[in-house]
Amino acid sequence: MITITIDGKKISFERPVTILDAARAAGIHIPTLCHHDILKPYGGCRLCLVEVEKVPKLQTACSQYVSDGMVVRTETEKVVDARRAVLEFLLINHPLDCPHCDKAGECELQDLAAKYGPAMGRFAEGKRRYPENLEDPLIVRNRERCILCLRCVRMCDDVQGASALSVTGRGSKSYIEPFSGGAYDCEYCGNCLAVCPVGAITSRTHRHGFRPWLMEKEVETVCSYCGVGCSLVLQVRNNSVVRSVPRSGLGLNRGLLCSKGRFGYDCLNYGDRLDAPLMRRNGVLERVTWTEAINCIADRMKEIKRENGSDAIAGIVSGRCTNEDAYVFQKFFRGAIGTNNIDSVAGMAYGPAQRFFEKILVQGVTANPIQGISDSDGIFVIGGDPTAINPVLGLQVRSASKKGVPVIVVGHPGGLKRYSKRAFIMNSAAETVFLAALVDEIKRRRPLPGERPVLEEIINGFRPAPLEDASKMSGFGPNDLVDTAHALSNMSRPSIIIGRDIVQTDTGHMNLLFLAALTYLLNGRIYLLSELPNEQGVLDMGCQPDMLPSGRPLTVETFRKRCEETLGIIIPPAPGLSYAEMTEAAHEGRIKALYVMGEDMVLGLPDSNYVRGALRNIEFLVVQDRFFTETAKYADVVLPALSWAEKEGSYTNLERRIQLTRKAVEGESIEEWKVISEISKTFGLHMGYRSAADIFSEIARVSQIYRELTLEGIADGKSVWPYRGGPLRYDMHTEGTKLPDIVSVMEESGMSGVHVRREAHLFHSQNASRYSPALLSITPEPHLKIGDILADRLSVKDGDRVKVSTDAGSIVLSARRDPCLPDNVVLASTFDGGGIFEITKWRVNPITKAPASDVNGVVIDKEEAITVLHKDRADSLVGG
Amino acid sequence: MREISITGGEPLTRKKTALSNKILRELNDLKRKYDNERFSLLPALYLFQREYGWLSAEALEKVGEILGVPKTTVKSVSTFYAMFRHKPMGRHLIQLCTNVSCMIMGCERLTDILKTRYGLGPNATTHDGRFSFLVMECIGVCDIAPAMVVDTDLYGNLTEDSLIGILERYE
Amino acid sequence: MNSAGNVLLRNTRCQDPACIDDYIREGGYRSLRKALSAEPGQVLDEVKKSGLRGRGGAGFPTGMKWSFAAADPQMPKYLLCNADEGEPGTFKDRVIIERNPHLLIEGMVISAYAIGAASGHIYLRGEYAKARDGLLQAIKAAYEKDFLGDDILGKGARFHLRLHLGAGAYICGEETALIESLEGRRGHPRIKPPFPVNEGFSSKPTVVNNVETLANIPYIIEIGGDAYAKIGSPECPGLKLFSVSGHVNKPGVYELPMGVTLQEIIYTHCGGIRDGRKLKGVIPGGISTPVLLPDKIDCPMDFFHLQKAGSMLGSGAVIVFDETVDMVKVCLRTAEFFEHESCGKCVPCREGIGWMRAILDRINRRDGCEADIALLAEVSRNIKGKTFCPLGESAATVVQGFVEHFMPEFEEKVGSR
Ligand SMILES: Cc1cc2nc3c(=O)[nH]c(=O)nc-3n(C[C@H](O)[C@H](O)[C@H](O)COP(=O)(O)O)c2cc1C
Ligand code: SF4
Ligand code: FES
Repeated sequence: MITITIDGKKISFERPVTILDAARAAGIHIPTLCHHDILKPYGGCRLCLVEVEKVPKLQTACSQYVSDGMVVRTETEKVVDARRAVLEFLLINHPLDCPHCDKAGECELQDLAAKYGPAMGRFAEGKRRYPENLEDPLIVRNRERCILCLRCVRMCDDVQGASALSVTGRGSKSYIEPFSGGAYDCEYCGNCLAVCPVGAITSRTHRHGFRPWLMEKEVETVCSYCGVGCSLVLQVRNNSVVRSVPRSGLGLNRGLLCSKGRFGYDCLNYGDRLDAPLMRRNGVLERVTWTEAINCIADRMKEIKRENGSDAIAGIVSGRCTNEDAYVFQKFFRGAIGTNNIDSVAGMAYGPAQRFFEKILVQGVTANPIQGISDSDGIFVIGGDPTAINPVLGLQVRSASKKGVPVIVVGHPGGLKRYSKRAFIMNSAAETVFLAALVDEIKRRRPLPGERPVLEEIINGFRPAPLEDASKMSGFGPNDLVDTAHALSNMSRPSIIIGRDIVQTDTGHMNLLFLAALTYLLNGRIYLLSELPNEQGVLDMGCQPDMLPSGRPLTVETFRKRCEETLGIIIPPAPGLSYAEMTEAAHEGRIKALYVMGEDMVLGLPDSNYVRGALRNIEFLVVQDRFFTETAKYADVVLPALSWAEKEGSYTNLERRIQLTRKAVEGESIEEWKVISEISKTFGLHMGYRSAADIFSEIARVSQIYRELTLEGIADGKSVWPYRGGPLRYDMHTEGTKLPDIVSVMEESGMSGVHVRREAHLFHSQNASRYSPALLSITPEPHLKIGDILADRLSVKDGDRVKVSTDAGSIVLSARRDPCLPDNVVLASTFDGGGIFEITKWRVNPITKAPASDVNGVVIDKEEAITVLHKDRADSLVGG
Repeated sequence: MREISITGGEPLTRKKTALSNKILRELNDLKRKYDNERFSLLPALYLFQREYGWLSAEALEKVGEILGVPKTTVKSVSTFYAMFRHKPMGRHLIQLCTNVSCMIMGCERLTDILKTRYGLGPNATTHDGRFSFLVMECIGVCDIAPAMVVDTDLYGNLTEDSLIGILERYE
Repeated sequence: MNSAGNVLLRNTRCQDPACIDDYIREGGYRSLRKALSAEPGQVLDEVKKSGLRGRGGAGFPTGMKWSFAAADPQMPKYLLCNADEGEPGTFKDRVIIERNPHLLIEGMVISAYAIGAASGHIYLRGEYAKARDGLLQAIKAAYEKDFLGDDILGKGARFHLRLHLGAGAYICGEETALIESLEGRRGHPRIKPPFPVNEGFSSKPTVVNNVETLANIPYIIEIGGDAYAKIGSPECPGLKLFSVSGHVNKPGVYELPMGVTLQEIIYTHCGGIRDGRKLKGVIPGGISTPVLLPDKIDCPMDFFHLQKAGSMLGSGAVIVFDETVDMVKVCLRTAEFFEHESCGKCVPCREGIGWMRAILDRINRRDGCEADIALLAEVSRNIKGKTFCPLGESAATVVQGFVEHFMPEFEEKVGSR
């Protein structure tokens, strides 16, 4: 026990804390500038100097630890004089341009100067003058205002791990800049501008447009870009969101955000929002009233149901819909239309993967706290770059790596490049072989745990390929395989991080089985990367062709009956079609009517031409969205939707934490659930909800998983799986779960030629980012990453246009050389039109029902003509 | 006047642009000598400077890539140290000490000569690229103040005349 | 037994100082043999008894520093030699390294043995290229003769030594900044505690000692700690190298016992002031120590007495000013030096020194006014006691010293506007 006296107060601590923390605990405020709770002590600004008895010199409270018996004084004359002196030093070169500065009103230096009012005007020489740097589309640097506290640099190096910003020069001549000295080559997390205490680093998105004192309200909510579900605060003025910021005490992101959360809020204010329903008349979409639109939907759907049966109708929800909207949607389809044809993007990879792991391991096996990653003793990443897909989760991987935890990546390391000892990049078939070889090698090094006899039987019975063959096929030497297996075998609680691309391929089902085996052998914790904010939620809500909102299979009659009773509807007993199957059925004319809520199928599914064909074949297509999407172009009725910031609701993140999303601004539309219940009414199914909370309480009644939760109750963000009670019991299903004969895999899918893989992009999510000028200004168009050897062979430089062709067609992308890539694999981003989905041939894995997102045997040529996509859009929308 | 000529300072500046394979190999060897690759950063910067006379952005980037240190960090480290040069230098490098001991022994008269006779200001290069003049803090030879190093040669007890005489030897 | 003047500078008459045979012939590496046949603790005790205090500037008792590191259970431990010698006016370490490199190596091996370090680095000033070449040659020779390596002199002791070059940053002489620099970073000082003796290079226990400190070790082992403690002043005994520059007739490095007076150094050893001029002032320990007026030249040169006289021993770099010197200009040049060398980490140093320099510049240009002198004094007061490391502190103290001691000159410059 350490007891100290601080300003006369006695206070005790179990463990040594800094004087600053001790003072805070005693309710005493000590001014600081270079200190930031997220960062390690730095001791540079010298504002926090305090007197410590028996120590002749003043001590910095932020960096000195208390010791037993210490007597500290924080407001003596000596201390106050020191503060005033330091402030004066800070201000001699700091411009007094507060009226013009974007930081005014929330500037830590301004506040301190106001409080301690240093003697001014004694500095007779001119202040240092430097022009503001506006070379970057998003981040403005003002060297004059910089006080060199290095919070930005420490944030960028130690927390974000991007190291995109550093100090150049020495002493009073030092300044902060990115390598280029101009624009940033960085992850645009914006955490640097968040920690800058002054106006030296500011955001261009609200340049000269934001004044803290003019802000009308702040609304705490959850980010709608990815499955991490970072907490953020939307700051509102004139019914428009002017900024989104994190709060250090709030949510699992603890003060951090990624580019999308920080800058992507501007899609809320995107000019071309849909604001009224549209209906196709004589081939043209025209504005109509809500009543007209709803009547039309009701009439046409009833007609199709009458003529073709309920199963000719299907519905797709987006992973961006709230739980409430998704729940009402499936209830409408099951209860009013009478079909189980409901699915979502989560049905493509996240859902099948989770289902598979739960079946073979245990329910809830993918529900692991993100914070836990940095505590694991090894990390295995496959199928996607966590730092791009779920950036704030990716930070955990980096922080583990900094502690010396080994990180093994199968696939492009992306943002983990400096954080993984080794990454193995190869084509998809090779990955399966590689995984198989790993499982086999590990199985020999670690005894089977003996907990799951069925799984062990599978693992024992599996016939591996000879190491030599596996190595030949994957392109990595036998030693690489053996070393990796060895490294993995030494882990006792690794995190296994799995992205979509390992599922969305021809051998996806095998990959899942190998990964389950790996997890079992290594006692791993699975993290499924989730590219949308509510993939888990829409699954939980029963937006699946064969699962009920209770998280139980509808084919089990007792489950179905109980659900029917609670809901007061009849549920068809046969499972419906999955997302991919619906698309195929539409293509073949078996689906006549399709209701798409928030999903842009044309851009979101591989083989855009195939999808367009399917949409063209649909007799009656309803699209409900915020924007006039590529899919909406084929619609018969288009309904405007609200954004997540315009309504109440909840999201369930990838660790299965249910979080509240709050309404920040009024939207020019009606909540999706309200619209659907109106339509439902015409079918005789009266839902009668008055609010999202109403819906949530019904969900809590229906779903075993959400049992006893309320919308108010989840507001603290602490509702994590298994919520209130244990996981549901499942019997282990073993059908379809046989480890494949890997020798035959090798024979069947000996991939040759250049293989294109999808690159999940850091600055772009599935489609919302298309409407964010800020995010488009960083990366206006998709690109192709190409290895040095291949690039040299084609004499392609960065920025050159290359034509990528398959049987399905060709696209032109701008090239980026990437030294990590081997010569037989290239990466293409898919955000926005023109990505590789334009040329990915439609292939669906029969077991996972996931459409493949990779293409093999592409031809790449250098293209001379130059076309620029969206550049204009970006330029016109970012203020200067 | 006592004029001595022992080695000091650094080898001649050279101008090359492309990074040769030789230097990349040397760098790879160098980094293997250290337990932690990062610790080899300063020696690596020296290696490049010795080869090219200065450190270009490309060189900084390459060093970072090979050592696994972010290029921003490399730049930050290298610009902290006065001996790393970030722009091309003239054929000969005059490093004149101007610290107190040299100052009181008359180094100001020498800087004047550089200015008037060669048009050479502090930290600048002559138009013909013959000389670059770097103002030095104490170079640790105060007993022969005022002193300077030209390329790798140390000269002490300088006078106006001896300075001119010495510089005439460097073309 | 060697006497003062012939210990640290012995062997400097050899043709090739790096030549190990000459060194051995003159009795070199005998102390190492002696040390290795004792227990590390015994070696440490001798050094404690010797009363040796660090010669790098701070004057910390060497034996005590070693015992902290020796007591830390963490392994491995490191021994670093601070050969950054950036303090203006100082050139003694260069002389040891250029003229007597094996003395340093021998001292390091003994020290490493005492603290239990199996490897070490010499952090040599980047500007000392000649010293580097000789030292490298000496290290190589020491390896060949088994004075360095995995089995030193067949006694199972292990010590590996590597040379590392600084790159022009005075602050890297500060021990934690030195460690940062050695680790490939900017030379910013670290927060203390933890001290290097517990968490230094590579986060392991590390002893940082000055070249001269380490060069004293073989002699202490040779004659024993008690005998060494009898040399020079009783408060801080031992031999000291003085680098003398400025307006004396015979500038150079002098090996003298601690406690020798400035008077003796200037007039007896250095032949008095050049051209028979009058002494105006003297800096006793390098630019970071305050200037003294001629009335203080009776002061014995050691850590204790100089502090009483209002200055410090620092690195023992004596800079002598005759009556012709413009002290305002010297003060300005000093401020410029500190501004140039400030690492920029902490505010008072980074901003304050620049401000002092600006005021001094104004005064020196005869553009200042009387209030500027008071302002200068206040700015320096405001820097004092608030900086992260001693660099900023010294800058303020030294400027204060000049203003205090040479007030009339400052007044003259502002008065004649
Ligand atoms: C700004 C600054 C510069 C220093 N420069 C040197 C130096 O050049 N050489 C040196 O040996 N010590 C220097 N020191 C002192 C070192 O920090 C440290 O005290 C010394 O190396 C310890 O060795 P010693 O105990 O043997 O003296 C410097 C200290 C400061 C604060
Ligand atoms: S830019 Fe801001 S955060 Fe960075 S050092 Fe300057 S004041 Fe500090
Ligand atoms: S907050 Fe302690 S020194 Fe800046």
